[in-house]
Amino acid sequence: MARRNEPPQVKERGALVDLNVNPCKMCMPMGSSTAAFGVQGCVTILHGSQGCATYIRRHMATHYNEPVDIASSALTEQGTVYGGEGNLHKGIDNLIRLYDPAAICVSTTCLAETIGEDVAGMLGRWREKHPDSKVTFVPVASPGYGGSQFDGHFRFLRALMESVEMRPQDAPPRQLNLVCGPMSPADMRFLKRLVASFGIEAVVVPDLSENLDRARLPVYDRTPAGGTPLARIATMAGSALTIELATFVPDGCSPGAYLHDRFGVPCTRLNLPVGLRDIDALVDELTAFAGVRMPAALAEERGRYLDAMIDSHKYNAEGRAVVFGEPDFCYAAVRLCVENGVVPVVTAAGSRCPGFEEELRREVREAADRFLVDRWEVLEDADFGDIERLAVELRANVMIGSSDGRRIEDARGIPLVRCAFPIHDHVGGQRVRTLGYEGSLTLLDRITNALLQRKEEGFRAAIRDEFYDNTLLSQAHRHRESASHELLAEANAALAEDRATAPGAAQAARPAAPGAAQSSLPVILSGARSAESKDPALALARKTAQHPCFNGGCASENARIHLAVAPACNISCNYCVRKFDCANESRPGVASAVLSPNEAFERYRLAKERVPNLTTVGVAGPGDALADWERTRATLELVAQDDPDMTFCLSTNGLLLPRFADDIARLGVTHVTVTMNAVDPAVAGRIYRFARLDGVTYTGEAAGAVLLANQIAGIKRLVELGVAVKVNTVLVAGVNDGCVEDVGALCAKLGAAYHNVMQHIPVAGSVFGDLPQVSRTRLDEVRKRCEAHLPQMYHCRQCRADAVGKLSEDLVRAVEEAEGRRAAEPVLADPVVATLVVPRADGARTRHAPLRIAVASRSGSVVDAHFGQAASFMVYETDGTVVRYVETRETERYCTGQEACDPRAKADRLERSLAAVRDCAAVLALRIGQAPADRLRACGIAPVCTCDAVRPAVLAAAAELSAGMTTIEFKEAASL
Amino acid sequence: MPGTTKVRSSREAVVLDERKASILEADGCAGPGIACEQASAAGAVSQRACVFCGARVVLNPITDAFHIIHGPIGCSSYTWDIRGSLTSGQDLYRHSFSTDLSETDVIFGGEKKLARAIDQTVEAHAPNVVFVYATCIAGVIGDDVGAVCKAAEERHGIRVIPVQAPGFSGHKAQGYRLAGDAIMKLIGTTPFPRDKARGINILGDFNLAGEMWIVKNYLAGLGIDVITGITGDSCCDELACAPQAKLNVVQCAGSMTALAKRMERDLGIPYIKVSFYGIEDTVSSLMRIAEALGEPETVERTRVFCEEQTRLLDPVVARYRPRLEGRRAAIYVGGGFKAISLIRQFREFGMDAVMVGTQTGRPEDYEVIRSLVSPGCVVLDDANPSELEKFMLERGADILVGGVKERPLAYKLGVAFCDHNHERKHPLAGFVGVRNFAEEINSSMNSPVWTYV
Repeated sequence: MARRNEPPQVKERGALVDLNVNPCKMCMPMGSSTAAFGVQGCVTILHGSQGCATYIRRHMATHYNEPVDIASSALTEQGTVYGGEGNLHKGIDNLIRLYDPAAICVSTTCLAETIGEDVAGMLGRWREKHPDSKVTFVPVASPGYGGSQFDGHFRFLRALMESVEMRPQDAPPRQLNLVCGPMSPADMRFLKRLVASFGIEAVVVPDLSENLDRARLPVYDRTPAGGTPLARIATMAGSALTIELATFVPDGCSPGAYLHDRFGVPCTRLNLPVGLRDIDALVDELTAFAGVRMPAALAEERGRYLDAMIDSHKYNAEGRAVVFGEPDFCYAAVRLCVENGVVPVVTAAGSRCPGFEEELRREVREAADRFLVDRWEVLEDADFGDIERLAVELRANVMIGSSDGRRIEDARGIPLVRCAFPIHDHVGGQRVRTLGYEGSLTLLDRITNALLQRKEEGFRAAIRDEFYDNTLLSQAHRHRESASHELLAEANAALAEDRATAPGAAQAARPAAPGAAQSSLPVILSGARSAESKDPALALARKTAQHPCFNGGCASENARIHLAVAPACNISCNYCVRKFDCANESRPGVASAVLSPNEAFERYRLAKERVPNLTTVGVAGPGDALADWERTRATLELVAQDDPDMTFCLSTNGLLLPRFADDIARLGVTHVTVTMNAVDPAVAGRIYRFARLDGVTYTGEAAGAVLLANQIAGIKRLVELGVAVKVNTVLVAGVNDGCVEDVGALCAKLGAAYHNVMQHIPVAGSVFGDLPQVSRTRLDEVRKRCEAHLPQMYHCRQCRADAVGKLSEDLVRAVEEAEGRRAAEPVLADPVVATLVVPRADGARTRHAPLRIAVASRSGSVVDAHFGQAASFMVYETDGTVVRYVETRETERYCTGQEACDPRAKADRLERSLAAVRDCAAVLALRIGQAPADRLRACGIAPVCTCDAVRPAVLAAAAELSAGMTTIEFKEAASL
Repeated sequence: MPGTTKVRSSREAVVLDERKASILEADGCAGPGIACEQASAAGAVSQRACVFCGARVVLNPITDAFHIIHGPIGCSSYTWDIRGSLTSGQDLYRHSFSTDLSETDVIFGGEKKLARAIDQTVEAHAPNVVFVYATCIAGVIGDDVGAVCKAAEERHGIRVIPVQAPGFSGHKAQGYRLAGDAIMKLIGTTPFPRDKARGINILGDFNLAGEMWIVKNYLAGLGIDVITGITGDSCCDELACAPQAKLNVVQCAGSMTALAKRMERDLGIPYIKVSFYGIEDTVSSLMRIAEALGEPETVERTRVFCEEQTRLLDPVVARYRPRLEGRRAAIYVGGGFKAISLIRQFREFGMDAVMVGTQTGRPEDYEVIRSLVSPGCVVLDDANPSELEKFMLERGADILVGGVKERPLAYKLGVAFCDHNHERKHPLAGFVGVRNFAEEINSSMNSPVWTYV
């Protein structure tokens, strides 16, 4: 048995040796009944349970979009015990009544074979009862456990040769037998045309070209009217040659061998004519047989295929393919790949097949050696568990096979080129072409295009991630505070030390429960209970006990209110769409409205009246609670004056935590949640688009480093101040899911009390909007591992930023109704900016139209000029990725600062400046006065104040514009 | 318009003798019943699946259970993730696990392989519950699947529930019964104090295209709590709470009535039959649930809600009706409840059923069908393709409602088609389903392609 492993998306440990996980094969009756559709007037009866026929019919009907009538002897319990002869005879009688067939394929199933049904004997006795019947029986021994649909196909063909009474004398001279393996009806039509173009008369078996891909007709015949007639099959014994288009014909099942051994018909076995080498081989054989030259049209097709091979070869050289399915299909597709330089890193036959591995290894090695690919695998008896695991391990970028690969395509983002059988999720499975020069060209184009599309979709981000961030890092180093530097180094060293020590060490390093925190709280809000004022730890313990998030046990009794007073954010998370919601701390879906501190206090008062057991007040966004600390502080102060016993909490990304940690503690906030997603700045860099600190915008790894340094310093300080810290980590598939444990380890070391690992909720429109959600199973597994460091919060509900009530319910609407208003419409961006939002063709993949942005700059490298003092504006264009300099536009200064102010002249100058930037979406300047800012907005131009370097500033502004950013930051910036 | 150019059969229409008792023409009075609930005739090309299929359909939406098929590969291959039953949590059930018995296993027995497979599963996945489906040959080759499961339960301390479902042991409905038994093993037979009972269970809505969520949303809005779906987006923990329900609401009566009866007998939970297909059935089902729970405010709220929803649909019906009115519908679906709802639903758009059949309908279903349809409508049980061909052409059906096996036949005959099977990807239940249904039948019946063929 091939190495068995469960699909990695299920779980990544253990080996399911005795379990097939998502089969890559079907059963023999599938093959026999499909092939039987290639004989004119042939219908199939499966000797066994009713279900076998129905399943196979459903499987085929979905692929071929044709009525697929297959009968069953419908064995019952009685038939199973006493033998099914009665059922089979009855079934044959009924089948003849309904379909008047020329031939009946009697195919056995697992059940019939296991109970030892003597089908030959039964058919003999039926004949005795019906001596006049002309029907030809084709009995096929096809237990499901005896082989796959591939074997069933050939067993039927072999049985057909043995069952038809051969009449070699009726064969026309120089007749060719063409025996086909499993292939699409369209490919069979091609083969018939091909041999005809050589002037060859051929008998093709099976011929599915009509019965499984019918034309629309005004009459409907339920009996297959197309296909090869029995009379012609009977002449196969007199043909001059058999060409068998199959590589791995199962032993004893070759129709060609039978015709050779029994009737002396020479037999040539060729590979499926896919790819240059194998098509040429068939064409040579036909040329020799017909004694004519290759038809000119075919030569042209060949030339065109060669031309396409050259045109695409460099794209194909990047191809790392997974090929799966039946042995012959795998072989054909692999040979096509190999001759085009696509390296099949995983080749997987779903069934066992003697000789397959050896033959395929020879092929794959050829391509792998050319392109120095060290690891590739060829498997037999593989299931999709194996295939998925290897596809990921060996970094495949295209899959070739049936639509059963679609789940891997979905989960892993590896494009699937659908061919072979079955294709259930696309139409036209019966018309997929792979044979001949044209068919191969079509298949090759599909493979190449799958590679090109993947490349096109990913290369910008990939290259930016690899190179762009590093250039900025040095800049970040210059700006970064040295203190942060040291902290980060220290923390990383500590982590390294931790990793080096025994696993038990982490356990031992686990901090005491928050209730038992030893450090003292410097200032407790006035009105706190007297005992607690002596021992702050007591207060913390009480408050922790009544906090529904920190104490899971009380989650069902105690309620909390989140006051949405914090609209601004100073970092941009790739899982977040900033429309007043944060996918991290709030469920996707906007906060109904952002409140002022006074409004928030009113809301709290209402909630307190209506929500029983309201113990906790928090600020959880929708932006960052510290980004506009004054709003948060004012809100909490108001509530504290009303009820000092309330537990206060807030959540933050930590960027400003070192700055406000002392304030936070002084205010009486006892619980703080910090979202930390990685300890490696590089990983963090992939999660954050930017972090903005003191007017400087960091991106990539620099953003990660700055954020992390501040998180570490901040958490440390909070713990020193006796505040209970919970760390949230958003588990993002393929980004940080490998290193979340490190976050736990680091935070445990810093003294955090809880760790809450959450599923990433993909939000449409966010950078990570297309990533798959990590499964609950995987989440639980990660949490389990993190539990070694910190207690996990299993009851997290990923609440909204304006949630009210217990974790299990949300009373936000109730409170809103009490406030006398219905849930407000989501607060959208300021209409001026909203008009600048770049429309998206589709929600999934955003493409930005170029935005024009004007910059006031003296130095040319940094935004360093006042709008009113700018002698010129540099105009840039950006699509969100590349910043292109367009031109510099001179403008007369409208404010020199010294000259006497003539209001009319001043207004004129403003108008001239405006004219200079009229076609821009935004103007970036060091300062913009209130009046010009208003004027700019009125013209649909966003005023942005920044002191950043020009290019990052343009990119940041473009990102905000195209993300439909609210105007809040713009307004604030304008009033600086 | 479908049938602009009439397609005809090239062969004479044949009805097999043993099939005649299962086909009758409605004549407005209840004569002797239709022959149903019988084994399919050999060679008739029944559209039915088998016992295993019935069991798997019902149990598969338990999303966090591990479903292992003990047998050769075919059954696992053909039932892998073919149903649009959606999950809000785990997606284990979307995988297909099988012991993939080979020739050697058939000769030497598959018990050991099964035991190892269970061990490896528990080791790798720590599932809450494992279901082991024994298909056709497990019993025949002498595997004692029950004993293997019992031993595994003792070894691992989790539920390992055998489902002895050889395909030949009856038809699909037998599989439903087996699944019901398995579910009872899971939820146990300890009654919950009736005075503390709350909420309802929804039986036989498999959350296809999220339909159970839709119904749940309606009920939540009316203040009715749903304990669990049996089965649809179900997990083992939730199922264990099923005894706490005040009421069982049975949607797919064909598959779930037996279980509902058992739960009534063993757990004291009464049940009512409902359907959420069509305006009329959705309204009456919501009202009946509210009434059965007996709180006057809930009943009143439900009435208001249904009135509102119906009013919202008035323009939808008004828009589509002129385009659909007077057309003829053929129905061939799995169970009776769906056929009955569809007859009514077509009537909402002014369409009459001219052929109604089911795979596994019961005598009482057919009685209802016969009394609902207009005289002349053909009613048939366990039909085959040649009968569907005959009656659709004879009665001039404009559209067929059925499953994927029937679709190509309808198209070949120039008949429009509505997918009402387990693979569809849009909901047809509830008020939103009415809109989708109207859209779908209009999009097929009034497609421009029919003017060209």
